[in-house]
Amino acid sequence: MMNWADGKSCSPVLPIRIAIEAPGLNEKEVQNLVSITQRALDAMPDSPGHNWRLEAASQTSLEDTIAPRGHKNNALIVRLTSGDAATFKPASSPHAHLPVFEITYPPNSKPTLEDESSPLATYIAAQLRETFAEEQAMMSYFLAASTISSDQQPQVSHRGIDDSLSKRMTRSMKYSGTYHLTFSLFTDGSSPSSWDIDSAINQYMRPVLDMLKPIHNFTIDTQVQLYAIPGVQSQVLTKEDLSSFINAAEWPLSPSIGGAPTINFVVYVGDQTIGLDSEETSQSWLVPQWGSVYLLSPPAATHMPSEFLKQPILTFASHLLSLLGTPQSGSLPMRLSTLARVRSVDMLLRASSSLGSLARLSLALPSISIPSSVADGVAKSIHHLELACSNLGSTESLEHARIAETEAERAFFEKSMVGQLYFPDEHKVAVYLPLLGPVGVPLLMGLLTEIKAWKTRKQQKVKAA
Amino acid sequence: MKLSRILRLPVLLASTLLAPVHHVAAEHTSNWAVLVGTSRFWFNYRHLANVLSMYRTVKRLGIPDSQIILMLPDDMACNPRNAFPGTVYSNSDRAVDLYGDNIEVDYRGYEVTVENFIRLLTDRVGDEMPRSKRLLTDDRSNIFVYMTGHGGNEFLKFQDAEEIGAFDLADAFEQMWEKRRYHEILFMIDTCQANTMYSKFYSPNIIATGSSELDQSSYSHHADNDVGVAVIDRYTYYNLEFLESEVRDLSSQKTVGDLFDSYTYEKIHSHAGVRYDLFPGGADVARKRLLTDFFGNIQNIEVDGAKNSTVDDEMLALSRTIALLRVLADQEELEAKNATASANTETRPKKKIQLAKSLTDDNWWSKKVVGATTLAGCAALWTLGSYLEGSRK
Repeated sequence: MMNWADGKSCSPVLPIRIAIEAPGLNEKEVQNLVSITQRALDAMPDSPGHNWRLEAASQTSLEDTIAPRGHKNNALIVRLTSGDAATFKPASSPHAHLPVFEITYPPNSKPTLEDESSPLATYIAAQLRETFAEEQAMMSYFLAASTISSDQQPQVSHRGIDDSLSKRMTRSMKYSGTYHLTFSLFTDGSSPSSWDIDSAINQYMRPVLDMLKPIHNFTIDTQVQLYAIPGVQSQVLTKEDLSSFINAAEWPLSPSIGGAPTINFVVYVGDQTIGLDSEETSQSWLVPQWGSVYLLSPPAATHMPSEFLKQPILTFASHLLSLLGTPQSGSLPMRLSTLARVRSVDMLLRASSSLGSLARLSLALPSISIPSSVADGVAKSIHHLELACSNLGSTESLEHARIAETEAERAFFEKSMVGQLYFPDEHKVAVYLPLLGPVGVPLLMGLLTEIKAWKTRKQQKVKAA
Repeated sequence: MKLSRILRLPVLLASTLLAPVHHVAAEHTSNWAVLVGTSRFWFNYRHLANVLSMYRTVKRLGIPDSQIILMLPDDMACNPRNAFPGTVYSNSDRAVDLYGDNIEVDYRGYEVTVENFIRLLTDRVGDEMPRSKRLLTDDRSNIFVYMTGHGGNEFLKFQDAEEIGAFDLADAFEQMWEKRRYHEILFMIDTCQANTMYSKFYSPNIIATGSSELDQSSYSHHADNDVGVAVIDRYTYYNLEFLESEVRDLSSQKTVGDLFDSYTYEKIHSHAGVRYDLFPGGADVARKRLLTDFFGNIQNIEVDGAKNSTVDDEMLALSRTIALLRVLADQEELEAKNATASANTETRPKKKIQLAKSLTDDNWWSKKVVGATTLAGCAALWTLGSYLEGSRK
């Protein structure tokens, strides 16, 4: 267990598989290009937590493997096409739903078989590093936060952890398999009293939720509250006002009944506005690890149609993505796969640290009794950790890491491992003496008389002899 | 190539040496309060009033009910001796009814036990426990723990029936720290010999304060003649006075040190104690912590600018495509699985009726064997006995 907690059992290094497709080049040229690029990537200083694995893609066209399943194990496909421009440039991809990175290169820089280095390879390497920079920064953040001692960590530079990243990681929710989303409509008066939230969610939010399905599940409920008084009454709200705008004492925003953590989305209908120092106007704000609020000016009717809710729900969708810790740069499929990879490392580290806590605790509190279910949980957790570690970065690894984390948590929070742990010695004496005294004294006295009798018998025997 | 490698070395060295070790431990993102009264019966009215006034204070400063755990061992508002039914007051001017609207008691009556309190702190609860009764903190949560009741040297009495020891409390905090369930804790206790309760703590990041030293009693502040009993304790009273006059809203810059400096023997009639040594940086750092870090609920909100990219139609369409493709892929996989599964089912024989099965699988057969052996042994003994008896005749 301590091996896991100290990071000795598993070095959290993500293998990043990248396939290079170059329809314009023959197989050998591609192989050569791949090896040069691989060397260029390896030569670059500190690529923490990442292990680049380039390979030449089989010469199938993209259309054949259009389903994402075909590219399951590749983090990214780099597609090279010969262009007529004089410089390298990334081209816009027609396949925005696939993690494809298109590069056009000038015909004269086509790599030959003899070259030791090529400008194309250098360019690809640089582009790849730039693309994965944010993922690396997130990885370093999790590693720095984990209990793994620094000499066990892979060479991580903390350069990547800047303030904005740490702020983004701070505001994101703790990972959970399921989140509960609560959509609330609060109004300062009696109208609007109904809203088309169902169709609005289906129209504007559902695609995002469906897309996140392999990583998270969501349950949803909604509520409408009339005559809700915000925590701040002033007409123009400053930034300080906004942080106490939510009337925690009176608004029914209690946590959900189930086990899933709640993310709150509040639409407040009123005539208050947000006044910031700068010129830009704003209608919404995000509360870290809690949810977000959108201010809406009152509509004419008492019923709020779904078109009216489009902007709030779209804002909530983007807030949801950032509350879940989705990276901000890159194309959408890239961001999703990065989220899955980073989360699996996060879970792996979290489970390891839970196991370490449990191990240290069992040593520190010897009087705590540990039932066998905890041992089972730990064994299961370690088993899944091994599975997750062996194919880190794949979709199965997220599932394994999730199970490992749940089992480790369950083992740590085993219900029966509680009660009064510490009993002073004088308490023990005080409890046991009245019980053992009356029982013990006759036994002891009996033993003494028996010994005496035995002795006299022995003496008599000797005398008789 | 070689040159570049040599050049890399200093960069690597610098990055490892300059790397801050705990870069992440910066600020907290949520505030929690655990408010515990531990004594029942009418003449302990003041202890419940203490807890309820603390509850009003943290609520006033913005901690939502979902993040306050309130433990009340008795119901003073509905006590038949209460001359003002349905109310609890902590001052004889009876200006504020502490038991008015919007009160959420998480543990009440006989639910307030040492076991439940330790379960709450260590979060060792069953699946049946609702989230509102759990302390769902993480490594970014500041917790304010307030306890009041009757205590003695290194113990605090619960419900007149059991007590929590200083060691138990210290171990519970250690378990919380071990699982990284808090960022910082402010522990405040108002009971006789209160300072002994925090003397055994050994987990970091805790500031502790208590009302009285070893062999000192804590006294009540004043009695309400119509209620008929004392309504508040001195230590709590002066804490509240400070919080109400100096910490009016979340913008207050008053620090923990300011609060602790306001304690005097003349006011409290006992020596209030403070413990800083568990805090990294000691007294200097601990004293500079804002009171609102523990009593208030700070939210570092982020306002969206108009420029901020929201999800737009294009992105919606894209996510639709991705979801659709995934569904298709899943279906394909399922079909493939079904195909192999149906091939399997064909060869499979008809389903058998299942026999009764024991629920536990631990040594079921060996237990049977032991039982059978015992029975056989008894029978053998009996036979032997009757044989010997027979032979004597």
